[in-house]
Amino acid sequence: MDIIGQFPLFYFPEYGSAWMMGITGTIHILFSHTSVGAAMLFAFLAHKAYKENRSDYYPYMKKYGMFLLIFSYVLGSITGPGIWNTATAASPRGISALIHNFVWVWATEWVFFIYEVIGVFVLVYFIDRIDRKTHLKLTYTFALASVGTLALIIGIISFMMWPGTQAFYATGSASDAFFGINTFPHMFLRIGFMIMMSGVIGLVISSSMRKENEELSNELSRKMGYISIIGGFITMFFFVWYMGTLPENAHAVFAFSKDAIIQNRIILTMVFIAYFAIAIIKPKLINPVIASVMIGVILISGLWSGEKLRESMRKPYVAGQYIYSNQIISRDVPGKNIKSELPIIAEKGLLHLNPFVPARLKTITDENKREAGELLAKMACSNCHSLEKTGVFRPLKDRLTGMDKEGIKSILYVIGEGGMSYMPTLKLPETEYDAIAEYFASLHY
Amino acid sequence: MDASVLLALRDPAGVPFYPIVFQILYILTWALHAAFVLLSLGAMGLSLYGSAKGNQDKHWSILTPHLIQTGKISVSILIVLGVAPLLFTQVIYDPNWYVTNTLSGMWIFIFVYTMIVGYCMYYWYYYAHKAQRTGHSLIGFVSFGILVFAGILMHSFAVTSIMPHDWMNMYAPNGIVNTSGWTFNMDIIRLAFMVSLAIPVVGIFLQNYSRFLSTRKDFDASFISYSAKLGTNFAVVGLLISAVLFVLWMLQIKYLFHPVSIATIIGVLVLLAMAKTNRNSYYTTLVLVVVALLISTMRELIRFDIMSALGYSIYDYPMNLEIPSIVMFLSTFLIMGFVGVAYLLTMAWKVGKREGVFDGSKDVVVTKLGQATLYIMIAWMAIYFAWGITTLFKNIL
Repeated sequence: MDIIGQFPLFYFPEYGSAWMMGITGTIHILFSHTSVGAAMLFAFLAHKAYKENRSDYYPYMKKYGMFLLIFSYVLGSITGPGIWNTATAASPRGISALIHNFVWVWATEWVFFIYEVIGVFVLVYFIDRIDRKTHLKLTYTFALASVGTLALIIGIISFMMWPGTQAFYATGSASDAFFGINTFPHMFLRIGFMIMMSGVIGLVISSSMRKENEELSNELSRKMGYISIIGGFITMFFFVWYMGTLPENAHAVFAFSKDAIIQNRIILTMVFIAYFAIAIIKPKLINPVIASVMIGVILISGLWSGEKLRESMRKPYVAGQYIYSNQIISRDVPGKNIKSELPIIAEKGLLHLNPFVPARLKTITDENKREAGELLAKMACSNCHSLEKTGVFRPLKDRLTGMDKEGIKSILYVIGEGGMSYMPTLKLPETEYDAIAEYFASLHY
Repeated sequence: MDASVLLALRDPAGVPFYPIVFQILYILTWALHAAFVLLSLGAMGLSLYGSAKGNQDKHWSILTPHLIQTGKISVSILIVLGVAPLLFTQVIYDPNWYVTNTLSGMWIFIFVYTMIVGYCMYYWYYYAHKAQRTGHSLIGFVSFGILVFAGILMHSFAVTSIMPHDWMNMYAPNGIVNTSGWTFNMDIIRLAFMVSLAIPVVGIFLQNYSRFLSTRKDFDASFISYSAKLGTNFAVVGLLISAVLFVLWMLQIKYLFHPVSIATIIGVLVLLAMAKTNRNSYYTTLVLVVVALLISTMRELIRFDIMSALGYSIYDYPMNLEIPSIVMFLSTFLIMGFVGVAYLLTMAWKVGKREGVFDGSKDVVVTKLGQATLYIMIAWMAIYFAWGITTLFKNIL
C-alpha cells in the first residue's frame, strides 16, 4: 500500500490556518524579544546602580520587572508553546521536521527557560529582600539565560528559512542545520531589536514615574532613548547583512514588494528616530499613552508586516527547504534517509497516497469530481491561500479572477513544471489537475 | 487505523536518540508539569474560598494572598514545565500528537487564547484582592473557570490522541471530510481523577507551608497550627476521593491489577498514612513525587499499549543518532540546570526563612552557587560560539 505521511487537514474558512500561527507568532515575538532585551537592560541598570551607588534605580527596576512579569512572562510564555500548537495544527509536518532535527536544542532551551522563569520571580519579588551584590549577580545570570534562549531558538528559525549551506543535506547533522550562514546575522539582528524593545518598553515605565520623581523619570527616559537608538542601529545593520545570506527564492519573493517594503521601513525608521530623539532631548514630552501607542505601532507596522514578509520569503517551503508549505517532502535528504515524495505524487496522486482521504474519494468520478477537487485544493493550496470567493488571506479569488477551467489548468501545469520559484513544484496526475481546476472554475472567481 | 498508516505518519528524519530515553524524559517531565497544574488548581480554588470569606477571619486574611501568589507563580511554572513533555511526546508519538492537533485545530487556537485571558484575569484578581476592590472574588471565580476550561481542552487533546481507532471517523464521518478542527473528546472518570488530585496536592502544600513558616517569629503559632490542620484535612479527604476515582478509572480500562496500578494504590495508601500523621511533610512530598511518577507512568503505559496493539512500537522508530546536540542538552541540563536552579531555590528558601534583608554575599553556599552559575553560563556561551564558528568554517571554507 502506497502511503505518504500526511495528516488530517485543518482549514479555517476564509483565512486558512496559517494566519493563526502568524497572529500568535507576532504577539510572541513582541513579548519574548522584550523579555530578553529587558534582561540585558536589567543587568546594565543593576551594574550602574551597584557601581555608582544609585539606589534610586531599584524602584524603577522593580516597576519594570512587575510590568515584565505580565507582559512577557504571562503573554510571552503562553504564546511560546502557543506558536508551537497553532503551527502544528497548520503545518504538522513542518513542525515535525523541526522537532526531529532539533529536539535536543529545544530541550536545552527549556533548561534556560526554567532558569529564566524561576529567576524572574526571584529577581522581581526579592529586589528589596536581598543585598545588592547578590542581586547584581542574579541579574547577570538572568541576562545570560535570556540571551541563551535566543542563541538556541535562532538556529531553528534560521533553518526554517534554509539550512544556510548544503552540508545538512549530506550529513543530516543538527549542527550543520543549526549553524548556517544566516544564523549569526539573524541572531544579532534580533539582539538589536531586543535592545531597542527594552528601551521602548522602558519609556512606558520611566514616563509613568514622572509624578513620583521627575528628575529620575527624565534621566531614565533619556537613557531609554539612547538604548533604543543603539538597538535600532544594530537591527538595521544586521538586517542588511542577514538579507545577503538568504537564498534566491527568498529574494524572488522579496522583489515583488521590495519598493513598498523599503518605503515602509524608511518611514518607520524616521518615525522612531524622531521618537527616540524626543526622548533624549525633551523627555518631558513622552508620556505613558504615547509610549504605549508606539509599542502598538511596532507591533502592527513593524512586527506583523516583518513576520508576514519572513513567512512569504520562505515560500514555497516551510522548513529547511525540503518540506513544502503544503506538507509535501520536496527533495532527498540523504543524511537523514529522507526521500522526495514528488515523484510518487506525480505518478499516483495525492488522493491515493494520503491516508486520511476517505475511500469514496480515492478514485475521481464524474459524481465526486468537484468534491475531490475541493479536497485536493485544500490539501495543495490552502496552507498559503484562502480558497473561497470571499477569502481574505492571500485569496485565490485575486489570482484566478475570471478564469475558466482550461485557464486554471494551464496555471497548474506551469506550477507542476516548476515555472514559479515561490510555488511548490507539485506535479499531479491529469485527473487531479482536472478535479482541482473544475472546483476552482465552479467558484467563478 | 492500521499499522501501515501509523508507521507512515512517523517523521522520515527518524529519532535522534534511543526512543526509550524520550519515553523516560516524557514520564519525568509530565509528572513535574502535572504537579504544578494540580498545585495551581488547588491553590487557586482554595484562595477563592478565602477570598469569599473576606478579611474578617484572621487566619484566612494571611493565607488567602499567599494562596493567590502560589497559584500565580505555579501557572507560570506549569507553562514552562509543560514545554518538555510536549516536546518529547511529539518525537516518539508524532502520529498521535499531530493528528490530534489537526483534528482539534480550532480548539488548539482557542486553548492558547483561553490561557492568555484566564492568566491575565488571574493577575487582575491578584491586584484586585490586594487592593480589596469590590468584586475581586468574582474576578477570581471567572479566571479560575477560564483556566479550568483550558485544562479540560488539554484533557480533550490527550484523550483524542489515544483514540487512533476513531481518528478516521472523526475526520471524515460517513466518508465526508470535515476540516473544521472542532473535534472534542472527554473521558469523565479520567478527568475527574486528575482534577481530584488537586485537593491532596494543595493539602500537602499547606503542610509544607506551615512547616516552613514555623521557624518564623512573625507568624503566630495558632496560624501555623491552623494551616497545618487544614492541610491535613485536605490531604486526607482528597487522597480518599482520588483513590476511589483511580480505582474506578482502572476498572473502566481493566488495568486495576497491573503492577503499576497496584504500586500507585500502595503509594496513595502510604501517602495517606504520612499525610494523616504529618510528622514531616517534606518526606510526604517525596512520596507524592513518587506517586506522581507512577501516575505519569500509568498514562504512558495506556498509550503504549494502545499503540502497540495496532502495531506501532516506539522502540522500532528508525534512529539517526545525533551526538553533539544531546551532549549539549545533557551537559546543560545536568550542570547548568541543577546548579542554576539550586542557586535560585537556595536563595528563595533563605530569603523566605527570615524577616528583613538576606545578605547573600555573606552566605557561602549562595555565593558559591551564584559564582558557579555565572561561570557556567559564560563558559556555555563561549562553547556555543566556538561550536558555531567551527561548523560554519568547516562548511563554507
